Amino acid sequence: MAVDRYEDVEFGEELPEFTPDISMPKVVQFTQAAQMNFGRFTDHDEARKSGLPGAIVPGIMSQGILAALIHRWAPTAQIQKIDTVFRAPLVVDSAPTCRGVVTDMDDESRIVEIDLTLCNEAGETRVLGTALVRL
Amino acid sequence: MEFNIDEMKEQYVDHPFDEVEFVVDAEDMVAFAQACGETAPHFLDPKAPDFRAVPNYASRYHGRRSLPKGFPVNMMASFDAGKSVEITGSIRAGDRLTARSHIHDIFEKTGRSGGMLFIVHRMEFSNQDDIKVSTVDWRMVVRLDMTRDKKAKRGAKTQSGES
Amino acid sequence: MILDLHNHSVASDDARAKVENYCQWIQRRELPLDGFVLSEHRQFDSVSDYRDLEDQFGLVILKASEVETEYGHVLVFGVNDDLQASFDFSSVKLSLETVLSEAERCGAIAVPCHPGRPRVGMSAHFEQLGPVDGVTVIETLNGGSRGRENDIAIELAEQRGYKGIGGSDAHIVSHIGRCATKIEREIRSIEDLVGALKEGDCEAVSYQ
Repeated sequence: MAVDRYEDVEFGEELPEFTPDISMPKVVQFTQAAQMNFGRFTDHDEARKSGLPGAIVPGIMSQGILAALIHRWAPTAQIQKIDTVFRAPLVVDSAPTCRGVVTDMDDESRIVEIDLTLCNEAGETRVLGTALVRL
Repeated sequence: MEFNIDEMKEQYVDHPFDEVEFVVDAEDMVAFAQACGETAPHFLDPKAPDFRAVPNYASRYHGRRSLPKGFPVNMMASFDAGKSVEITGSIRAGDRLTARSHIHDIFEKTGRSGGMLFIVHRMEFSNQDDIKVSTVDWRMVVRLDMTRDKKAKRGAKTQSGES
Repeated sequence: MILDLHNHSVASDDARAKVENYCQWIQRRELPLDGFVLSEHRQFDSVSDYRDLEDQFGLVILKASEVETEYGHVLVFGVNDDLQASFDFSSVKLSLETVLSEAERCGAIAVPCHPGRPRVGMSAHFEQLGPVDGVTVIETLNGGSRGRENDIAIELAEQRGYKGIGGSDAHIVSHIGRCATKIEREIRSIEDLVGALKEGDCEAVSYQ
């Protein structure tokens, strides 16, 4: 059920996880919108030639996916800050899992802090971060 | 190549080195949001009330230069270790954004990628009403062995900025 | 007791967790931890006082450091003024031999962490730099390890007779408690912990 009030949230609450679409067509759509038309994002062969395991998801797309996780949980949430660390490449056409959990709550400002992770199929954290969200 | 971090900080940190303008395009806003899996109409439908860009939208913009003139590293050996976006106002279709860049921090550490120089490039975005809408910190990492050996630059982007 | 011996707070450049939130998380999730250690990157926090949080949550909160040597990263437990004066904790080019010997001289203990990790793990440097004398304990279970990194650490400990510890290497709140260390004796201070590690009273445990 979607959350829209600070009072509905509990410390430790898990956001509903989802598997984002990071298929090649979706990544191409992103790179065109963001004007990041580089082979390492959109061409598996070219990426492999430069030493990557395959085409990789742009870091800011991963960050956008994590923001979408928050909006799916709380459609009216206002993200005030989102900070992500790109620990390792996330390969295009894979099936990662996107998770979030509430790890701090400030009753006065009505801001919650959320831990965010994007893990690959092996369960390894590829992108992690935090967000400050006002509800 | 050895770096004197204190000297580099003195010379480059907090000195503006770039300013550039962007006009925000509604179609790009929608495509960016769709690709990230957003479902809310106010990110996807230009006709929706309060239609605006997703929170990290400003991170898609790049200035004319990534580093100040004369900055002593090989950008080809760099990779993107992370982004932090602080949102202080909405970005809307048709907005004319001005982005001003400076180096916010420089430091060294070691990680899975070996010796690394971290450079935090900060871009501050204001709209046509001079309202600050976003601050984007781009953590760029330069592998120190790559800086020493430019021929080894292949594969730099496979690396990780974590420790 | 079970202590998570490797965690970072907002004091580290790449970590985002506040210490109070670690405590809340442990309590809320009912994690089997009696306490944890903060091991900030390239520094020792000699200022923060967590006694109130310890009392509030019934946890032991200790402070250490994670320094950087030519053999990779090393946890240093028992940091005191003498040790802080003996080398520059902020350097990324420390000598492991110096860190080990100075820690010993100052009543502390140095523990190479994530030794199976490329570049920042001790085993990655044996071929080029040779083995190191003076290591007695290594981190065999690290919560941030990938692939075979922990297996390599465990094999290394078995081959060389090192004792093993576990730590989550948490950088965000929800990652604490992934790995920890079981210690038979009561630990109330960093001196207690250093004593336990020096005597080999430690066993790495994983909750992943």
